Amino acid sequence: MSSNVCSLLSVWVNDMRDYDAIVIGGGHAGIEAGLALARMGAETLLVTQSADTIGRMSCNPSIGGLAKGNLVREIDALGGEMGHLIDSTMIQMRMLNKRRGPAVQAPRAQADKFSYSRLAKETLEGEPHLHIFMDTVVDIMTEDGRASGVVTERGWRISAKAVVMTTGTFMDGRIFIGEYDEMCGRLGEKAAIGLGDRLRSKGFHVGRMKTGTPARVRKSSLDFSRMEVQPGDVPMLPFSFENDEINRPDIPCYITYTNESTHQIIRDNIHRSPLYGGKIVGKGPRYCPSIEDKVVRFPDRDRHQIFVEPEGEGTEEMYLNGLSSSLPEEVQHDFIHTLPGLEYAEIIRPGYAVEYDYLDPLDLYPSLESKIIPGLFIAGQTNGTSGYEEAAAQGLVAGINAALYLRKEKPLILKRTDSYIGVLIDDLVTKGTKEPYRMFTSRAEHRLSLRHDTADQRLTPVAASIGLASKGRMEGFERKMEMISDAVSVLKSIKADGKSLYEKLREPDADVLEMDVPELSRFPKSLLQTIELDVRYEGYLKRQEREVEKAKKQENMVIPPDFDYDIVDGISSESKEKLKAVRPLSIGQASRISGVRVSDIAVLAVAVRSRSNG
Amino acid sequence: MSSYAVDEPIYALATAYQPSALAVIRASGEGSWDLLRPYFSGRLSSGKASHGYISGKDGKAIDEVVVVSYAKGHGYTSEEAFEIMSHGSIAVIKAISGLLDSIGFRRAERGEFTYRAFLHGRIDLTEAEAVEEIVSSRSDRARSDALSRLSGTLRTAALQMKDDILDILASLEVQLDYGEDEIPEDWEFPEERILEIISRLEGIASTYASSRLYSHGALVVLAGRANAGKSSLYNALLKEDRSIVSPEEGTTRDYIESDASIAGIPVRLVDTAGLRKAGGAVEAEGIRRTEEMMESADLIVYVLDGDEDDSSVPAGALTVRSKRDITGIDEGLSFSSVTGEGLDVVIEAIGEALSRDIVHGSDDIRIDSERQRDCLLSAASALREAVDAKSSGYDVIALFLQSSLDSLSVLVGDITADDVLERLFSSFCLGK
Repeated sequence: MSSNVCSLLSVWVNDMRDYDAIVIGGGHAGIEAGLALARMGAETLLVTQSADTIGRMSCNPSIGGLAKGNLVREIDALGGEMGHLIDSTMIQMRMLNKRRGPAVQAPRAQADKFSYSRLAKETLEGEPHLHIFMDTVVDIMTEDGRASGVVTERGWRISAKAVVMTTGTFMDGRIFIGEYDEMCGRLGEKAAIGLGDRLRSKGFHVGRMKTGTPARVRKSSLDFSRMEVQPGDVPMLPFSFENDEINRPDIPCYITYTNESTHQIIRDNIHRSPLYGGKIVGKGPRYCPSIEDKVVRFPDRDRHQIFVEPEGEGTEEMYLNGLSSSLPEEVQHDFIHTLPGLEYAEIIRPGYAVEYDYLDPLDLYPSLESKIIPGLFIAGQTNGTSGYEEAAAQGLVAGINAALYLRKEKPLILKRTDSYIGVLIDDLVTKGTKEPYRMFTSRAEHRLSLRHDTADQRLTPVAASIGLASKGRMEGFERKMEMISDAVSVLKSIKADGKSLYEKLREPDADVLEMDVPELSRFPKSLLQTIELDVRYEGYLKRQEREVEKAKKQENMVIPPDFDYDIVDGISSESKEKLKAVRPLSIGQASRISGVRVSDIAVLAVAVRSRSNG
Repeated sequence: MSSYAVDEPIYALATAYQPSALAVIRASGEGSWDLLRPYFSGRLSSGKASHGYISGKDGKAIDEVVVVSYAKGHGYTSEEAFEIMSHGSIAVIKAISGLLDSIGFRRAERGEFTYRAFLHGRIDLTEAEAVEEIVSSRSDRARSDALSRLSGTLRTAALQMKDDILDILASLEVQLDYGEDEIPEDWEFPEERILEIISRLEGIASTYASSRLYSHGALVVLAGRANAGKSSLYNALLKEDRSIVSPEEGTTRDYIESDASIAGIPVRLVDTAGLRKAGGAVEAEGIRRTEEMMESADLIVYVLDGDEDDSSVPAGALTVRSKRDITGIDEGLSFSSVTGEGLDVVIEAIGEALSRDIVHGSDDIRIDSERQRDCLLSAASALREAVDAKSSGYDVIALFLQSSLDSLSVLVGDITADDVLERLFSSFCLGK
């Protein structure tokens, strides 16, 4: 087995396995997949179109947010890298929705894009079993129907036993700025052409999706006195459970608003939009519309809020969050200049839309392994999601499952009841998606037990069981669990007004940090807050646990992947088609497929049960 | 339930097993037409009634019948099916059943037709329950209630309330999905709207008790001292001689019950042992059972012996006086079972007493099953908890709203657990 690229040629001739696994793509999904594989002991090659763009943040300069912040902390708890990367490169941090309920709040941080990407690359380079190679993959090789390697644009045939595909927006990507279009995955970076067609011919369901990004403007050309300042939280809090504190600069964001003249310019030029002119066929995200979408769809709104965010510490580039557009550049110039504080804004990069191939995630098992080519795992935007966090979460799970596949072990399938990652993947492989999928709090029905501060309690033991938790992480985790039980004993032992402090925490306005108890001063604040929330939510969690138990019963009714739906009488033909497309692995998963009737699930449950009995 | 195999040909008598003008035998399952064809002289064609003779395996005609056939996807079960309408003599019913048994049909299990209809998506859970109730309902009122359920008034109401709650939940969840910087406006707890939904849920749930009276019948217990004239009243009410009426005290040692219809309400009428000091072990046992029966009664009719004083009448009982022909008392509820005087007034009073507690909602939605009532009440109580939690976090309020939605989903059958199905289908009447 070769472990460096120079020996590829000889291996090509001999056709021996070059690597255990190949990861296609060096974005947020590729990074997690590559690191997970290598850390679980697989010799892994990461093939990227450009070694300079690893870990690039193509769109907004931030990580986290509602539900997404939970994803990042879960990724960290499961042995992923995203938490470390953002903790070392953040330039502002905020805890969102503090007022709206502790169980649904989540952290978001502004990142220094350039240091983020640089640190990502250095982290990959520092991993002994991980190798980086710059080329473009144009085909997936198979042997006996299983993934056996990749073919590159420069003619390399590189073999491996497992392949993880994370192509992002690059598969037949095309960007649009008004009448201008170009085959690119990002502005200035050429698309990966041909792979989508090769996969189509192998039976994959390939569709088109669209997303967009706003213009970046020069900081020194802006008048911040005409905008509101949006400061960050002090102190900054870490995403990673391995970090206790953050020592990073805190740089503010700004808020300004569009107005009637902005909207008028957009309306006057709407026919020049590639989206409204019909050039773009791919479906864009409803929840993150371009400014022209917002103006068209909400004609009654007299203004839209725009966040002006720094792209990094040393750079002049500022990101205009909320102003994503694919109108011609001169139109972008005109409407940007109507916003207070942006009258003289100098545009460094124009906003643009990008349309790209995605693969229908219904063709995947919950392990993210392809149903069409075993040994091929697919993650990230390729599966129709949007967002760095969603991509990274899938990348991590795909990497882990590729490693378990190499070890011939059972795949790791996270449940909806134990993580946002579980919700994300279950939604994708069960319901598919028609627009770029973003994680939302409301998608997680068991959200009270998925608080961001408990991600380590939920997932670090899982990471340990598959060998992805470092020794340091496990020691830290065990220490924390001991401290929690110590702190609980302290709280239970001290009484005031006839009640223990622990019982007092049940009261709605109790605040553990306000309790003036010297015995508690040795515990970290975040740990005391976790205990406080556990106590306060205990009753509600019990209620939710009942639901969880019910859900588990259905999840435990296993359907074999090769189950023959045609021989079951009494299932409607529409439902049969849907069941055959998804091939659910449990009755629970089957019941979540949209459009499958309850009565069909009842029949299926009976059929599956009678099959397993006899 | 798991013993049911779908599509296997089954049959059942859909009318009562007793001599009558007409009998209907229903059959369903893959290939059932082919099985019948050799024994029926008419043509089978979907949705059409066909006249002809049905004959046995020996070729001899059994009866002149009408057969209505349903192609797959059309009939009640959505399977290939037919219904034979024959003359209603026991001999004919037996002969046709015997024929079907011998040519590959199996007698249906309890509730199997409805089970199949449900499995093929023909009906949802509320409709399935309504079918059961039509079949087992004992009064015209209950039958019309069950029919209105079939057209889905309960379903429509439940869906409407689900929609309302979903609306509220969505306006709340958007606050959980977007940060305070993106949506700075706070959410206001829509207390009035929620209280409205609660009262609607509880209103429909409260029709359970009265609905039950109509479909299962009320338990009416006749009580009173020995020899007070209970058995005479019992017989008068039943218009048949079932109880032994004799002048000797304590004849009715145990209780006797009958089904009757009083003022349009189906009634289980019970005649009890007279209440007096026990004369023997057997009678003591009868008196103990009388007391038990009185406790579970929907209505106690206490019969006073002629001019007996009313000190022994239990609270809540309807007091009537017997032997009017002897006492000559003509005020209050005084009657004579010998002359029949005052009986009509007594019957009317019993009917009034029974319907006194029956509340009719303005929307006329009524429910009959405990499952439905439990779903409605748990939806209401989750909303109440949401109201109680209105000043806590949005996350907690959302939990309660979601739980309320789930209860309504169970009600209309969007979500269903195996045990719900199991319980439901085991209570179905044979045939439908």
